[in-house]
Amino acid sequence: MMPKPDIDSILKGAEEGDEDRIVTGDEGRLVIEDERTTYRILSKSVREYHFTVPYNSRQDRVEVGQIFSIKDQDLTFLARVLNIEHSSNYDGHWDTTMRGTQFYDHDQIFNRVIAEPLGCAFPDGVFRKARTLPTKFSPVERAEKEEFGFLKAVMGDIEVGYLRNGSRLVEEIPVSLHSLAMDHHMGVFATTGMGKSNFMKVFAASCMRLAARGESKFGLLIVDPHGEYLRGKGPNKGLVHLKRYREGLACYSTDKKNASDPDVEELAISESDVRPEDIALLYDWSPPQREALEAISRTLDSDNWLEEIQSPEGLARMVQQSFHESTINVLIRRIKNELYRNKYIKKRSSLGNILAHLQKGEVVLVDIPRMSDRSELFLLSIISRYILEDYKKDLPEGKAEERKNCLITIEEAQRVLGAGSNTSRFESIAREGRKFGVGLCAITQQPKLIDRQLLSQFNTLVVMGLGDRNDRKQLEESAKQDLSSMDIEIQTLEKGEAVVSTLSIPFPVPARIHRFEDYLHRLNQEEREEGLIKKGGFKPFLE
Amino acid sequence: MLSDLRLSLVAELIRDHILLDGIDRYCQETGVKSSDFIPFEPIEFGGDILAADGSNVSVCGWSVAAINLIRSGYVVYQGQRWKRTVITFDDIFFADPAIYADQFAPPLKRLGQDQIDLKEEDLERLSTYFRELQEYASLNDAISVAKPGDIILYDGSFDVFEPLRAALSSVFRRAEERGVALLAVAKSSSLYWGEGISLPFMYHTNQAGSMLLPNSPWYLNLKDKRVNRGPGKWGGESFIVRFTGRSDHAFRVDVPGYLAGQVEEALAGISSCSTSAECPGYPHALFRAHRDIKITDNEGASVRMRLKDKLYRDGLSPRQIAVLMQDYHDILEMRQGI
Repeated sequence: MMPKPDIDSILKGAEEGDEDRIVTGDEGRLVIEDERTTYRILSKSVREYHFTVPYNSRQDRVEVGQIFSIKDQDLTFLARVLNIEHSSNYDGHWDTTMRGTQFYDHDQIFNRVIAEPLGCAFPDGVFRKARTLPTKFSPVERAEKEEFGFLKAVMGDIEVGYLRNGSRLVEEIPVSLHSLAMDHHMGVFATTGMGKSNFMKVFAASCMRLAARGESKFGLLIVDPHGEYLRGKGPNKGLVHLKRYREGLACYSTDKKNASDPDVEELAISESDVRPEDIALLYDWSPPQREALEAISRTLDSDNWLEEIQSPEGLARMVQQSFHESTINVLIRRIKNELYRNKYIKKRSSLGNILAHLQKGEVVLVDIPRMSDRSELFLLSIISRYILEDYKKDLPEGKAEERKNCLITIEEAQRVLGAGSNTSRFESIAREGRKFGVGLCAITQQPKLIDRQLLSQFNTLVVMGLGDRNDRKQLEESAKQDLSSMDIEIQTLEKGEAVVSTLSIPFPVPARIHRFEDYLHRLNQEEREEGLIKKGGFKPFLE
Repeated sequence: MLSDLRLSLVAELIRDHILLDGIDRYCQETGVKSSDFIPFEPIEFGGDILAADGSNVSVCGWSVAAINLIRSGYVVYQGQRWKRTVITFDDIFFADPAIYADQFAPPLKRLGQDQIDLKEEDLERLSTYFRELQEYASLNDAISVAKPGDIILYDGSFDVFEPLRAALSSVFRRAEERGVALLAVAKSSSLYWGEGISLPFMYHTNQAGSMLLPNSPWYLNLKDKRVNRGPGKWGGESFIVRFTGRSDHAFRVDVPGYLAGQVEEALAGISSCSTSAECPGYPHALFRAHRDIKITDNEGASVRMRLKDKLYRDGLSPRQIAVLMQDYHDILEMRQGI
């Protein structure tokens, strides 16, 4: 039991042994003269941290998206800046009193940073979601490479860029996607000019590298209607320029000039590869016309139906099925049009080889420059059906392990994955492709047009700047990781910057995607200068 | 029930008190002349401005004695830039007429006094006196660290009750010896004028000054003016001062006798430091002193909680503690908590 204090001790000052500091009247004299605004946690909950930073720092401005670390004994919390507000120790509208603007107490004014907890690094090095909050007034500082060290362990094998903390690069931490997550579908979202094509070329280059080194776990199919991936355009390079890992790439082209390159094969699709359902997605059909299309496969020879339906015998057999002759004639006319437009439909087929390359884990580039939107969809439909049907087949034991998964890229994916689109083929890949090892890589600048249920099937999202609020909202509502708090950051992303969200990495990671030409240069030099690269000697962007 | 007619009469009376319909009557009855309003120009002040203030909150009481939390200190500015805040006292005062003397002894000693002579009617103001003594001790500390030519401001008036005058005089002596300007700035004043009605002198002087010298700082010496004031025997001069031209407010400023003839220079220096965004028109150092030294409601509540805990550990029941700590008005007002 504590001894009772006498009246004298009360009159003289603080009770002896009191842990709290009380300044006594005679000797005690407390001097407060530190006017630096401290970086310390002030509030407020497990879901949101607030801390203060200087209001007028020019050299060390805090930016939305920056990641800060909070050291609390043996725990290190990480938090990402969501917003920054002017604040002060004053209430009211003191700062709008225009009469008095000559001076003010600088130490009373600060910026309040609102940050989102990302998780907590435990002493064992494991990073987990934080179920508690840092002790009040714990010190806060900008996270450096040491704090991000744990990310190296959770990154995948497909390098696409470097970690970005605000607008500063953390070159020691490459951002890499996981091959094993690719059959869970990937979405690449950005408005025009934000770097979608650059990202895809970087992604493909990393896949080529893995394939050439025998480390690939999936094959990547890219159908390029703009003719920019093969050799690039203008000053931009193409995938063929990655000479160091060229063997990881198989190219097919409908362009005679491109196909004259010995490393590029002319694309051919045989008539027997085309199915009525491929034709179906090209036009808006009346109900009788659609019924007639569906009847083709049970009426005509499935391998020879294109030729047969154009013959008098074929027409007669369809009419026998109670279809009106004029309905069949519309089908025939449209089929002839497509055959005329798509000169690559021939007697031979490249599909077998394309599939083989994919199953070996290579990158397959189908170059179709100047092809119309409709023809591109038609071709993509044929190839993806062919792939899915093959992947659905059971393979003998041992063979299944040799077959790599496959990722099919779709440009302007809103055309085929939009709500109400009649392209059920791609929808079925999105819904069930994962079971068979086939994933979709949907590229679009309008994610708001993608069916929300389909979007929710995408486990990896690469978001590269979306100005449209509805696009961001659609992603936020469908993403597996919570992106809602990153709205401002996504809105303010600059060209080449991205937020990468994938389940294998514990939180959406801000990244700067490599510039393809720089990455290309690095990969082409890799054998000779691998040691230097590992030491972080490569800088993807000029300072 | 209060009728509209009654309220109208009250409003009319207030208007008569407040409205200054020209300054002729004001000048005639107070002896103030237009030329008594002296305009001055702010001067950039490079020295230190120190400002002292104090604060107290009631912790608990039981009709014959009370416990108060008292804090006093001062801030130091170099021109317009805050340098530091010094808390010279931050402790409990046991306001019991039977034992006050021992508690008054330390601050009195620091001010070179032996004792304070309180009459029976003064005992009700024990906490007020103690706080003011601590504020004088803060002034004393501030004088110790000030350099010749610096300005020291006090929040309040030097026109104080008799028991404190000796202590205040010793502060004046030390300030004079040190060569610093010591001024007291009061936000409100009970000065009044008029016959048959008490008219607010500071309010009307502010209006008159604004009419005569719009957009300019000015001061008015109250010497020889017909103004009713308090005890008035503290040995200095009082002024009404508007520190900045665009301010709506004027303040009473008390200046010890040793500064006679040097007031304008000090006011000009203070004026240049009275234009802050936070509190334009008021000496900013005093604004900061008020904020830094003020005991907040939360702090008072915290001390009450800690004291309750100690009482409980010392054997008082929660019920006994509640009765001790609770103001009966809280029960009448049905307030929650202590």
